[in-house]
Amino acid sequence: MDKILAKKDYSRWLEKLGSYRIFAPRKRDDVWNYEMVTAPDAERLEDVMTAVPAKGIVFPQREPFFEFAETDDGTRITEILPEGEPVVVFGVRPCEGRAVTLTDDVFGGEFEDHYYWKRRNATTLVGLSCGAPPSPNCFCLSVGGSPHSKEGLDLLLTDLGKTYYAEALTKKGEKLVLEGQKLFTAPGPEDRKAVDKIQAASRKKIRRELSRIENVPAKLRGMFDSPFWDDESMSCIRCGICTYLCPTCHCFDMADEVETSTPLLGKRVRTWDTCQFPDFTMHSSGHNPRPDKASRLRQRINHKFQYFVEVWQKYQCTGCGRCISLCPVGIDIIQVVEKVRDHGA
Amino acid sequence: MVNIDDLKTEAKRVLKGGNVKYIIGYGRASDTWKANPVFLRSPEDVDKLVWDPTCFHNLVRFLVDEKRRKAKEKPPDPRPVGIVAKGCDSRAIVVLLQEKFFERMDVFVLGVSCESTGMIDERKLAGKTAGKDVRRVAFGEDQKFVVETDAGTLEIAASEVLADRCLDCIANVPVISDHLLGDKTKRTVANPFRAVEKMESLSGDDRWSFWKDQLKKCIRCYACRSACPMCYCEECVVDTINFAVTAETSAEEKAQRIKWLEKSPVGSENVFYHLVRAIHLAGRCIDCGECERACPVNIPLRMLNKKLEKEAKELFGYDAGFDADQPALISCFRDGDPEDFIR
Amino acid sequence: MTEEFEPTIIAFLCKWCSSAGSDLAGVSRMEYPPNVTPIQVMCSGSVSPLYVFSAFHRGADGVLVSGCHPGDCHYIKGNYYARRKLSLVKKLLEYVGLEPERFQVSWVSAAEGQKYTRVIKDFVNELKPLGPQTKLRRSP
Repeated sequence: MDKILAKKDYSRWLEKLGSYRIFAPRKRDDVWNYEMVTAPDAERLEDVMTAVPAKGIVFPQREPFFEFAETDDGTRITEILPEGEPVVVFGVRPCEGRAVTLTDDVFGGEFEDHYYWKRRNATTLVGLSCGAPPSPNCFCLSVGGSPHSKEGLDLLLTDLGKTYYAEALTKKGEKLVLEGQKLFTAPGPEDRKAVDKIQAASRKKIRRELSRIENVPAKLRGMFDSPFWDDESMSCIRCGICTYLCPTCHCFDMADEVETSTPLLGKRVRTWDTCQFPDFTMHSSGHNPRPDKASRLRQRINHKFQYFVEVWQKYQCTGCGRCISLCPVGIDIIQVVEKVRDHGA
Repeated sequence: MVNIDDLKTEAKRVLKGGNVKYIIGYGRASDTWKANPVFLRSPEDVDKLVWDPTCFHNLVRFLVDEKRRKAKEKPPDPRPVGIVAKGCDSRAIVVLLQEKFFERMDVFVLGVSCESTGMIDERKLAGKTAGKDVRRVAFGEDQKFVVETDAGTLEIAASEVLADRCLDCIANVPVISDHLLGDKTKRTVANPFRAVEKMESLSGDDRWSFWKDQLKKCIRCYACRSACPMCYCEECVVDTINFAVTAETSAEEKAQRIKWLEKSPVGSENVFYHLVRAIHLAGRCIDCGECERACPVNIPLRMLNKKLEKEAKELFGYDAGFDADQPALISCFRDGDPEDFIR
Repeated sequence: MTEEFEPTIIAFLCKWCSSAGSDLAGVSRMEYPPNVTPIQVMCSGSVSPLYVFSAFHRGADGVLVSGCHPGDCHYIKGNYYARRKLSLVKKLLEYVGLEPERFQVSWVSAAEGQKYTRVIKDFVNELKPLGPQTKLRRSP
C-alpha cells in the first residue's frame, strides 16, 4: 500500500495514534536519541541518526525477567513478561531496520526469546529513507544494505520535499496508515518517479566504502593468532561504546537484583553487556580467555565478519558508522577490515 | 608556534638511539581530520606525527596499558616509553608518579606547550562549520585556528571553539618533560571554577534536578572510566566481579560477595556510580576533559569532578599533578584542616 | 492519627571512642531516640566514602560517622584522614543536591555518653521535617 502524507499533517497523524506509545528522535544536550513523544501536536520528523539505535526499544538495556520472593509457602517466582502494549518508532534509519532482522535471527528460530518477541511483535518500525547519508561514516551499501532498504521495517517514508511517500510493508504498517485515515492520499505517477530518483541519487551519496570483502571471513579464520590484532588494538581504551551503540550487537548479562535478603525478595534482570569489557569472559575460576585488548578487538571483528557469516550467511554489520563516529580514539572498523582483506597480500 | 619537525627530530633521535621502547604520539589516518593515538616503533614512523588543535586525547591512558604489558614481559624491558604530552597530560603523569604507579625513569616525556590556545571541542566546531565537511584544523596566528573545509578555508577565533577545559586551563605548558617544545609562557585564567560556582549558586533542589536528569541519560558504557588515566584499578568497585575466586570457592560465598550497585542503567545506580568515581578522583583529577569528550550522551562530567578539585584547593590548598613528591590528597592532612562541619 | 515519620539513621561509630560512648549512654540508661542503627568500625578513618553512599543508596534517611577527637585517635592519625575525606564527601553530596543535614560527622569520646545522645536527638529532629530520603535511594 503506497500513500502520500503532507509533512504538515505528520503531527496530526501522531495525534491519531493515541493507542500507541510513540518514540521519535529528539535532541537533548546536543545528542539525538529516541524519546517518547508526549506532545504529538508539536512534532516534526527529524532526519537524523540517533546515538543509541532503535534496538533499545525492542531489546531494552534493562529487562526484568521474573521476581522471586520467599513466602511462608516456599519461594514464589513470578514471571514479568513485557505488557506488549503497542509501540511505534518513527525516524528509524534503514540500517537500523536491517539490524533488527539480525537480532530477530538471534532471538528467534528454534528457541524463541519471549521477552524480545513480546516487544518486537508489538512494535511498528517506521523507517525514514536516507536522501543523504545521516552520518559521514555511513557504508550500508558495502554490507548488503541500502539507504532505502525495507528490511525489518513496517513502513518506509521517503522525503519528497513537502510530502512523505509512505510505503506500507507489513500488516502493522498498513494498520498505522489506516489510523491516519483521511490524512493520507493516493500517490500520483510523478510521486513514484520522484521516489525512484531520490533513491537512485542517494546511493551515490554514500561516502564510505568497504569493498571486496567476500574473502574476509576466510581470511579472519586464518588470522586468529596473528599479531595483527595487537597492533590494531593498541589505541583501544575498551570503553564499550562501539558495542553498546551498535544496532546489531546484542550480548547481555544476567543478574539477580536482591532488594531484601530476609525475607528474600528480588528480581532477575537482563542488562546489556559488551565483549569489550575486560571481565566479559571472566570465568569464576579467575581465568579469562580474552585477557587483552587484542583478543577482544579480534572477537568483535570476527563475530561481525566471520562467525555471523558462518551461521547466518550475513554480515553482522549494517554500515551505520556509529562505532566509527563515536570511538574516542578513532578506531575505524572499515580500515581494520580493509587491512584484514589485504593482509599478507 | 610549535614546529612539528622539531618534535619529529627529537622523536627520531630517541628511537634511533634505542632509548625508548616506543613513542605514544598523535597521528592521523589518511582520510580523517581528527588526530588519533599512534605508536611509533622505528625512526621512520615519526613522519606519522602531527600536532594540531585536534590532539585532544590524553595519551597517558596508554601508559597504564604499558604497565600491564610490562608485567607480562619476559624478560622485562627496562627502557622507558616515550609520550607526547600536553600540559594537562603532563599533570596526569605527575599524579601517577605521586601514587608511585610507575617510576620517573619509566617515561620519557616529549612535552608540547599549547601556548595561548589549546584543543577544539568538536561540537563547538560543528556549530561554526554548519554542515560543511572539515578536512583539517591547524594552529593559526593571533590565537586563531585555520579550518579547511570542502567549501573553502575559514579562520576562527580559538576562543570560540576551544574545549571548555582549555578555557579553564591552569597548565598550558607541561609541568614535567624530558624535552619541551613551544612557548613556555604560562597562561593564567581568572577563575577556573566559575562553572562550579554557578552550579553552587543554585538551590539544592535545582541542583538535584539537574544531576538527576543528566545522570539518567547515562548508559553505563563506562567510557568515562576507560578514558581516564587515573582510573587504573584492575578491579573497579562498581564492577561486581571479585577476581579472587578459586576452584574451592563455594556458590554461597560467591553469592555473598559485596555488590555495591546493580549493572542496570537506572537513575539511582547511575548516580551512585558517578558519585563513587568523582570521590575517587578527588585530588587526582587534572581536568583533561577526556571523560566528558568520550561520553556518547554528553553528560557534563567535568562539572562533577571540578567541584572536588575546587574543594581540594580551597579547603586544603591542594593542586593535583604539579609536584611528584606531594602525597595524595587523602593520605595527608594538616592540623588546620577545617572541621566546622563536625559536631 | 497520621503516623509521624521516623527517620532511619545509619551510624558508623569508631570502636575505641564513639561506639564506647554509645555503650556508656546505654549502660547509664540515658534516653535517646531509637532511630539509629549503629555499625562499629575500627576507626573513623576506615570509613570509606562508599559506606556513606551505600547507606543512602539502601534507603538511610541520615548517615552519621563518629570518631575520636583529634589527637585522641587510637591509631594516632586515623581521624585526621577521616576529617579530610569526609569533608569532601559532605561537599560532594551537598553539590548534587542531597540535603546537607542528612550526612553528619561528630567527635564523640568514650566518656561522652551524654554528647552521643544529644547528637542523635538533634539529628533525628533535623531529619524529621525533611521526610524520607528519596534522592539517592535505589529504585526497585
